Amino acid sequence: MPRGPPIRPPAKASPPAAAAPFPEPFTAVLICWLADNSQQSFMTSSTRGAMLKVVKDCDSRIQHWTKVSGDYDALSDRLKTLPDRLSYDIMVPFGPLAFTPGKLVRTNEVTVLLGDNWFAKCSAKQAQAVVDHRMKHVKKELDDLAKTRKNFEARVGLAKDLETMSANKGQFVDIREEVTSSTASKGKQRIAHKPNSKPKLDVVVDLNEEEEEKEGGTGAMTEEELWRRLDELERLEELQDEQDRLSDTADTNGDDSSSSSSEEEKEAACAPPVNGLSLKPGWSPAPHSDPPLPDRKAEDDDDEQEEEGSRLPTIFFSHTVEPKKVRINTGKNTTLKFSERKEQKEHSKRKKKNGNGHAHHELHKITSPADVYRLFVDVRNGEPVPRKSILKSRSRENSVCSDTSESSAADFEERRVTGRSFSHDEATHSDTSDGVTEEDSPTAVPLLSRFEAFSGTVIEKDPMPTGVPHLTILPPALPTIPERKQEEVASDVTPPPEASKRLSKFKAARLQQK
Amino acid sequence: MADAIQKKLKAELEKYSQVQKDVSKSMSVRQKLETQLTENNIVKEELDLLDSSNTIYKLIGPVLVKQDLDEAKATVTKRLEYINGEIQRYETLLKDMEKRADDHREVLTSLQQELHKAQGRTGGKI
Repeated sequence: MPRGPPIRPPAKASPPAAAAPFPEPFTAVLICWLADNSQQSFMTSSTRGAMLKVVKDCDSRIQHWTKVSGDYDALSDRLKTLPDRLSYDIMVPFGPLAFTPGKLVRTNEVTVLLGDNWFAKCSAKQAQAVVDHRMKHVKKELDDLAKTRKNFEARVGLAKDLETMSANKGQFVDIREEVTSSTASKGKQRIAHKPNSKPKLDVVVDLNEEEEEKEGGTGAMTEEELWRRLDELERLEELQDEQDRLSDTADTNGDDSSSSSSEEEKEAACAPPVNGLSLKPGWSPAPHSDPPLPDRKAEDDDDEQEEEGSRLPTIFFSHTVEPKKVRINTGKNTTLKFSERKEQKEHSKRKKKNGNGHAHHELHKITSPADVYRLFVDVRNGEPVPRKSILKSRSRENSVCSDTSESSAADFEERRVTGRSFSHDEATHSDTSDGVTEEDSPTAVPLLSRFEAFSGTVIEKDPMPTGVPHLTILPPALPTIPERKQEEVASDVTPPPEASKRLSKFKAARLQQK
Repeated sequence: MADAIQKKLKAELEKYSQVQKDVSKSMSVRQKLETQLTENNIVKEELDLLDSSNTIYKLIGPVLVKQDLDEAKATVTKRLEYINGEIQRYETLLKDMEKRADDHREVLTSLQQELHKAQGRTGGKI
């Protein structure tokens, strides 16, 4: 028998070997192509269908590579066993339809296809080395494919999410806030429509966020109306500036929304005196509280509607702001009431009366912890006395105060601070009897309030003088903290000045720096 | 007016499809080259695994021709360089063609817009 077709043993080795080099590089290229194409397809269509196609592609390739890997494993085994015997008796395929008995000789000689029409005669062991080297490649390809597949599966998931979201099937909720022209009117006119006609830099800067929010309402007014409004607001701002000088610098910086609220406050404060201007009636007086954010997101807003989803369930928020009412239930069946409205009225009156208290507000800027002690003093008989530590107060637990919102906690602090300064004042608490001291401290106090590190509603409790009007806080939605002093929150008079000047400390600091 | 635009649109469309075909052709050629590149890399590595005791053959048509190991290595290296060069060339070609395709696309969109406008005008007239 002539040497069995020498090709046979090599043939055994080569088909898998032949199979391997071609698919390997081919697949490598395909992977690049796949990545490119899938990238493109992602860019162009980014639909779930396209993603799924890519994933299927990946799957098929992974299948192919696993097959190749299996083949190489079988080959490796065969190579190991082949040199065991010098010759084997085999049935040799003879054409496509016949076999003939034959012998497998030269079992150690293997002709290996190296790729690209290159062959090498090797021993079985060398062939084994080649096979191992190829297996490394195959594994690498498999890993790459698996990674790609995972990536695209993630993308498919994302596309699916988008789909369900748009189809309103998922639990995604679109939260929308209606921007009515009434609420929008105040802020947006401050947008500089011409590059060089910015009304006031700080105002524009501070209202940036608000403007963006309220831009939606711009369409309602024509340009001319906007210009007219701009003029009005410029006049308002001039008025504001005068008032600002009274109570400006000590305010600390707040975030933009707070500062924007301060702008609103200014506008609102001017609103009563300039009611002749066409302020929209729907705009309730701005809260004299720190951030309007709690109000915007307050659960008790009027216009909140739930699940009004056109396509998505939507929750509509509006930031109508209700004037705050605060009722402190101090012990012994007494309550302190605080009503924002009253305070606003009183504060506006006060503002008009106020002279130039600008200078002394400088003192109230806190830049170090020591300043805290300096600022938070009681005024007894005209002398500033350092305040007692709250930990040392008595009867903290007796009274419970509650608040409508977080910001009123800040108000509380103001009132407390003010109250302290008035704790030993003899004057009856009325507008007219406000001395200069009262005017100073109330105006100082709202600035102080911004420096409070603790924004809870802790108030010292002292026996309340009978002449002190009561402040009232509505039943809270928020957890309550025992108050300390009732008389802190005593006067209606004192809160108004604080209430009106609720500049956030950040804004105030910024203003001061300017 | 609309007809003229339509004719222009058709011509532009043909040009664009032509360019697209060229792009895809170049792409496939490049892919083939990439395949060959990987393959030759493997051959090179495996040749390094062997020593001169193994006879190396090259398949030329139906014939296995004996080759020297060093010669084979040199040949494979040269082929690798050649393939790399080709790939670069085709890449630049591809980029160029893509740019041309983009230009054509822009022209097409503008023409389409004109067509819409013209049609709208004629529709309005009627």
